Amino acid sequence: MEAIWLYQFRLIVIGDSTVGKSCLIRRFTEGRFAHVSDPTVGVDFFSRLVEIEPGKRIKLQIWDTAGQERFRSITRAYYRNSVGGLLLFDITNRRSFQNVHEWLEETKVHVQPYQIVFVLVGHKCDLDTQRQVTRHEAEKLAAAYGMKYIETSARDAINVEKAFTDLTRDIYELVKRGDIMIQEGWEGVKSGFVPNVVHSSEEVVKSERRCLC
Amino acid sequence: MWATAFRLRGNDLVMSDKDDIETPVKTEVAPVLEGGDYEPAEKSESVNPSAKLQSKSEPVVSTRKRPESKPPSGIETSEVLPPVQLSQTPGNESASKDVPQSGWGYWGSWGKSLLSSASATVATVGQGISNVIEKAETSLGIPSPSEISTEVQYAAGEINAKENENSPMAGPFGVFSTISTAIQSTGKSVISGSLDALEFIGKKTMDVIAEGDPGFKRTKGLMYRNSTLSQVLREAKEKEELQSASEVAMETDKKTHYYGLLFDEFQGLSHLEALEMLSRESEIKVKSILNSLSGEELETLKLELEQLKEAFSLAEFCEEEEEENKGDEDFTKELTELVSQLHVSSKSEKLASARNTAYEWIKTFQVTPLEEKEECEKQLEEERNEPVNKVSIEDIHAFAIRSLAQMTACSIELFHKAAALILHGGKQQVTAIERSTTLSQMTIVLCKELSALSKEFTTCLTTAGVNEKADVLNPLITAVFLEASNSASYIQDAFQLLLPVLEISLIENKTESPEA
Repeated sequence: MEAIWLYQFRLIVIGDSTVGKSCLIRRFTEGRFAHVSDPTVGVDFFSRLVEIEPGKRIKLQIWDTAGQERFRSITRAYYRNSVGGLLLFDITNRRSFQNVHEWLEETKVHVQPYQIVFVLVGHKCDLDTQRQVTRHEAEKLAAAYGMKYIETSARDAINVEKAFTDLTRDIYELVKRGDIMIQEGWEGVKSGFVPNVVHSSEEVVKSERRCLC
Repeated sequence: MWATAFRLRGNDLVMSDKDDIETPVKTEVAPVLEGGDYEPAEKSESVNPSAKLQSKSEPVVSTRKRPESKPPSGIETSEVLPPVQLSQTPGNESASKDVPQSGWGYWGSWGKSLLSSASATVATVGQGISNVIEKAETSLGIPSPSEISTEVQYAAGEINAKENENSPMAGPFGVFSTISTAIQSTGKSVISGSLDALEFIGKKTMDVIAEGDPGFKRTKGLMYRNSTLSQVLREAKEKEELQSASEVAMETDKKTHYYGLLFDEFQGLSHLEALEMLSRESEIKVKSILNSLSGEELETLKLELEQLKEAFSLAEFCEEEEEENKGDEDFTKELTELVSQLHVSSKSEKLASARNTAYEWIKTFQVTPLEEKEECEKQLEEERNEPVNKVSIEDIHAFAIRSLAQMTACSIELFHKAAALILHGGKQQVTAIERSTTLSQMTIVLCKELSALSKEFTTCLTTAGVNEKADVLNPLITAVFLEASNSASYIQDAFQLLLPVLEISLIENKTESPEA
């Protein structure tokens, strides 16, 4: 594991049970697709480095939450320390799309006083013939909440990389502009450890921690 | 449909925070979940300043000490035993007080250290404040945090001096003083159980160990410890990150040796934090339930909780039990069996495969490389597997540390998942006591396995390093034992975090519809 990264972002992945959250994350972090997988228990943890610009890496800590209602009290506790999120629904399951609204409401309540940058993800887009949600209506919903919309498939590895890196880039821009700040007691964004050589001027300011050494 | 099921659960279980009767509990829970990094906000505020001070003053070492040896910055947590534990076990108090007198060096085996670390962890998990213990603490004349941090600085100075002298060595192997501390905490088992390997440890190292002051600083650290295990490990990891980042420019290879970084890479830290969170939550609930009871009802429940606690004391663990390494399948079989006894749908494959990967690697090292070539799948090995004969002792060391970190991370993940399922898994088929017994057996099995694995690795090291100088080989061997013993401690501490979870489970099992 490379220890050089500019920032660490914590991302949370939410959505109804069986929409494919774990599969999407596994495709992204392990490059694999498992045709059979057990339902997630509580939360699971993954991480990966993403290079957003040459030489600029971001470490993503990805929290995979259980979609099952019975674990909701556990997963809720994870909203607060997330800077970004992927809200998944299954394009072949209309119900999971209808629940997007509820998911957003729930996060709103539990993320206070912070904010999560969400991207709406229509998953399983390889199953286009069974589609129950049109791209148009999904885009409309996403726009209504100020989110981007992207369609992905973990099985065929469509847009998986893009979904995560686009979100990462958006957050990075917000951090760079100062709209999202690193805060004590909040784990959403952390500054990384960068050897002096790689430093550009704006990062030096951010990582005052390193001065200890 | 989900909603109905949920409500149903809410009525017969205390867990659901949507449930009306539980609203007061919920409000208590909220600050814990929301504050800090799963730490209550007030606590982290009051603790942070001096904690920082201390981390500044500590030298950068690549190997963590046991959590107890870290002198924390306030007395806060040692007081925060919930009333359950307080009223039930005055012994808990005395247990941690006993340690000073005997010193860690006296703990005869890993088994005994199971016991002692048990009491150490329990004290940190609590949230309530008990005046009784506070008084006890103050009357003992414990020095102020600043005094301690001065001591630490002093000690740190010494270490730093040493480290600077042999900086090329200091990196992955740990500093001498760290080694000596660790040996103290590990107890005799490492020494007696692995004499053949330790024979190779140079006189110099042994002298340092002998000189080391077994009780004093550690003891105070034990009393004062107010950081959770994950905090300790997180700090260690961050130090390593810092250190390895500064090393990257010069030597890209070195960082693979850092246990803390690897432990985090295998998501051990995250699972540990998650487990701590469940543990804390449960503890608060247990407390509030006990507060709401009185008279006979309370006494009965206390009695039952006491029984549960006994299962967590691991008293049945016999120190002479350390048999020879059993067959390869035994561990996997035993583990699977134990996991199924828990009656949670948790799986042990990940852990078993981590363990098997380690053993396969060892086998490829021992046997002719060609025969086993098919079996090696691990990345680390793939890069290096053609010249198996030329595996350097550094490679073995790196792989050993990696394996230990991975196995520990997987073990903690298993505990975390078990906790989540015990709390939210629906109907219980086994009693909380039965589960506790199983979990304590599991802890023992895991610790034994780590011990056995570390012996395998050190055997590899001694074989491969037969022509090496002692001062090159020995620190590597010591480091492997050290990390194995640390790993076992983390697992034991994580096991203790399950106690409140099982307490809640016991209460739920008992009361069909609590207070409703």
